[in-house]
This record gives sequence, structure tokens and C-alpha cells, in this order.
Amino acid sequence: MAERAAVRPLGPVGHAGPGGLWWLELRASVRRRRALAIKLLFPLVLAVPLALTGAPQFFAAMLLTVLVAMVGTVGTGVSLTRARGAGWLDRLAVLPLGGWRVGLELFLAGWVVDCLQATLLVLVLEAAQRPDPLTLLSTWLLSLATLAFSGALGLAVATLTDNPGEAMLVLAVVLAPMLFLSGLFTGVPASGPRYWVAQLLPFSYLQNAFQLVLHGNPPYGSDPQFLLAAAVFLLVGAGAAAALGWPLLARGS
Amino acid sequence: MAALALEAEGVLRRYRNGRGVGPVSLRLGNGEVLALLGPNGSGKTTLLRCLATRSRIRGGEVRWFGNPDPARARPRLAVVFDATAHVDEVSGEENLRFFAGARRAPVTPGLLVEAGLAEVGGEQVSNYSYGMRRRLVIAEALVGDPALLVLDEPTLGLDVEGRRWLETVLHERQRRGLSTLLGTNDTSFVEEVATRVGFLVDGRLVADSPLAELLASVGGLREVSLRFRGDVDLERLRAVAGVHQVVASSDGALVLAAQRDGLVADLLGAVGELDRLLIDLSIREPRLAECFLQLTGRPLDG
Repeated sequence: MAERAAVRPLGPVGHAGPGGLWWLELRASVRRRRALAIKLLFPLVLAVPLALTGAPQFFAAMLLTVLVAMVGTVGTGVSLTRARGAGWLDRLAVLPLGGWRVGLELFLAGWVVDCLQATLLVLVLEAAQRPDPLTLLSTWLLSLATLAFSGALGLAVATLTDNPGEAMLVLAVVLAPMLFLSGLFTGVPASGPRYWVAQLLPFSYLQNAFQLVLHGNPPYGSDPQFLLAAAVFLLVGAGAAAALGWPLLARGS
Repeated sequence: MAALALEAEGVLRRYRNGRGVGPVSLRLGNGEVLALLGPNGSGKTTLLRCLATRSRIRGGEVRWFGNPDPARARPRLAVVFDATAHVDEVSGEENLRFFAGARRAPVTPGLLVEAGLAEVGGEQVSNYSYGMRRRLVIAEALVGDPALLVLDEPTLGLDVEGRRWLETVLHERQRRGLSTLLGTNDTSFVEEVATRVGFLVDGRLVADSPLAELLASVGGLREVSLRFRGDVDLERLRAVAGVHQVVASSDGALVLAAQRDGLVADLLGAVGELDRLLIDLSIREPRLAECFLQLTGRPLDG
């Protein structure tokens, strides 16, 4: 067996493609079958009753938005602080990979799995509510962009914390005001500072998009607006993840 | 003339509690193997992290291959920390391939075989024992033929075969010009692989000499280890002719003295009341640990 292994070629692999960090981490996530199954089922536990029972659209959309926000932030924040505790970030930090690249690849690996969760959630809404296809598409893309934004937020929290428990605590402290300012609990005022703050966060758009899918009557937002917001927050999330790569690796150094 | 693999001038990294390292200056030439020895808390790991581009220094300067930019050093630098973190759910081969890819280098054929991991290379790392993970970490550090290798506690978790493999690898790579900096208190390993040895005490480098010179400096000495029941006045041992160092240990004393006829009898005489006090006595030729004791006045094992 040793001889067979000796002659098996292990060729060079670039770190951006298969064999790269994001691919390795993604494969690891897929192989944690039990954890993956729980992850994928978790949003359905909330989405299925909300979609099927005719819950008030505003509150149903609020809960679905909180769910997406939590999925993105907690997954990334907890897994990265755990990676730091195990010494994995130490090992990555001394490789000739730029900090931005490590940040982006770690973010990407988590985001892809999060996207599966959001896709299942949107499919449940499609099956139960039969919304307009463009509305469904814009909501799906907006949920992916919100996951990207939330993932970058989780990464930012991981640059400030050293263990999963601490990360969870800081995430709650950071996320709750953001969700409030996005108008999730009270709606967005028609004008004033809170209106403008809400425009700068993806959660307000996503809540409105979910309301539209649930045949509600959101205070603002149309499919083109949601699509534009999705593109912007996707770029913001990815850009922030790349920018936070170096601080993530620098913590504890 | 080629730049030194590593130059550190006045490197300083202290923590709020006063622990840490520095100022420390050292140089590592191409093909040299410098081992840093020191008791726990002496600053070995902190210094290695600074010199491995992992920790920021608060003072001084480090140059890798003549350049102070850590990012430019990393393509030619490989580091083994004491952590064995991997992506556990994929195979050892896949992890190795990732590290090769990160260095834009091919995976050296047979590296897993040399590391004794050929049969488990395709298995998930989560199934590996600690020693196997350590071997994999070392193999990952060797891909791409780095010019500078930094190893923290390299023999941790390695069995006899693993140590022998690491010794062979370091000898072979040294002949090809690899410079190695390692921190350990495994003196027998250091005596096998090091060309130079540095002693760290309280974050300062108190000695930095070729291994052969250090060992020669304790030639003609003997280490006498005495275990007592109760207290013995160590001054009486220090007063014995030829005694260089006397250091209290947890249950007795370590004595470093010039070899001569009657040395042991004189030491026993100094202890006095042998039937009541003495539990054990051993004598051996001094090696690196005794060099450390002689030069620093402290035992290496703390």
C-alpha cells in the first residue's frame, strides 16, 4: 500500500481553484453530514409554519429576516473564532496568501453553505405562496446578499473576539440594534434619520421583499429596487470580507 | 554574498505582565540549524512567533533574506507551531495539497511516504492520532523546499521513528542549504541536529554558540544529582573543592563539579548524616542541559 501511495501523483494545485482554502473548507462542511443536515433543516422549522399558516405578513417577514441575519452572522463568527482557538488561523497567517485572500476564501466557504439554507427557505415560500417569479428571484438574490453582508459582519466580530461564546454575545449586541434600525420590529418611518439608516442596511429590503412574497403590502420596495440592493450588498459583503482578512489574522499576533 | 536567512536586532515583544522576550539579537546563516533552549516561560515561543512573521514586534528589527518585509519572506519560509490544526474532515493528502498550492509548489512525491503517512494519506485527518497530525504538519512545512524553517517543539508527539525521520530530513535539507530555527528543550534531539545553540532566560539570549563549543565547555565536568529527605545547607556543597554550580531542585540539589578523585566522597561528607538525609545519588557526564546550568545558574527543566 505504501508503494502504491508513493507513485500516486499529487500534482500542483493553485489556491484559487479546487484545492484552495474555500474549496477545502466547503468540502469539510459537506462532510460534516449531521451538522449539515441540521443546518439545512433549521430554517425550515421556522419557514414551513410561517409560510403555511397565514401568519401576519409583517411578523412572518420579520422572523424570516432575523433568521437569515442569524444564519449568516453566527455561522461565520463562531466557526472563525473556533478556527483561531484551534490554531488554524495561526497556520494560515504564515502562508504566502494575502490576508484579503484568506478572508475572502473563508467567507466564501461559509456563504455557499448559508446560501443552500436560504435557497431551501425560498423554495418553501415558492411552494406555499406561489409569488410572482420576478419577486421570488429578487427575494432569493436579496437573501443571498443579506447572507453575504451578515457573513462579513460575523467575520468582523471574529476580529474582535477569541471564542465562540464571546462571539455570540458580541453578535447579539451588534445585530439587535441593526435589526431595530432596519425597521424589523416597528416598521421604517417614512422620513428622518431612521429611514435613511434603514436604506443602508440589507435587512429592511429583505423584510419588505419577504412581505411581497407573502402577498403583503410592504411600505416600500419593488423588484428592481430589491435586485439593485442585492447587487450592492453582495459586493459590500465580499469587499468587507476581503478587507477584514488581515485584521482577522492579525488578532492575537 | 548571499543575505543571511534571518537577522534579528534588538527584537522586543513584552506582554503587560512583563513576560515575553527581548531585546534579542541573533543571526542565522544559510544551512545553519540554531536551537533555542530555555525553561518554560523563557520566551522561546514568543521569539519564534516574532521571527516566523506571526507576531508583531514592539521594538528592534527582523530581516528575512535581507528584507524586513514579512510578506516577502513567507514564500520562502515554513513554520511549524505546536498546534496541529487542519481541515479535519478532508484527507491528509488534500491538506498537504492545499499547503503546496498556497506556496505555488508541487507536492513532493513520496513526502507522505517519508513521513510514515502513506497508508493513511487518503483518510480524513480527524481519524489521525496526535503524532500522525504532527508528522503531517511537518510534511506540510517541507513542501516547496522552503529556505527557512521555524519549528516550535518539533519532537512533540513524535515517536522514535518519527524523531529519526525528522532528524534525517533536517540533515538532508541542511546539506541543501535549508536554515532552521527551532525551539525545544529536547536536548538529545538538539545534539543530533543543531549546529548552534542559544540559551534563553527570562526573554533574553544569554548564550549563542556552536554546539561543539558548548559541549566542550563542560568537558571534564560531572553532574551529581542528590536527593535529600529534609533540608541540607547548600552552602556546604558549594564549599566543596571543584564545585562550579549548586542549584536546588524540588527534592535535593544538582551539583556541577570538575571531575576528580574523591569528589563524591567530599559531597557526601558535606551533606552529612547520610543515613537520615540521603535518598538517591546519580552521576553523569554533562551534556547540553548541564551547559545550560553552568552558563545560566538555572536548571533547564525549570
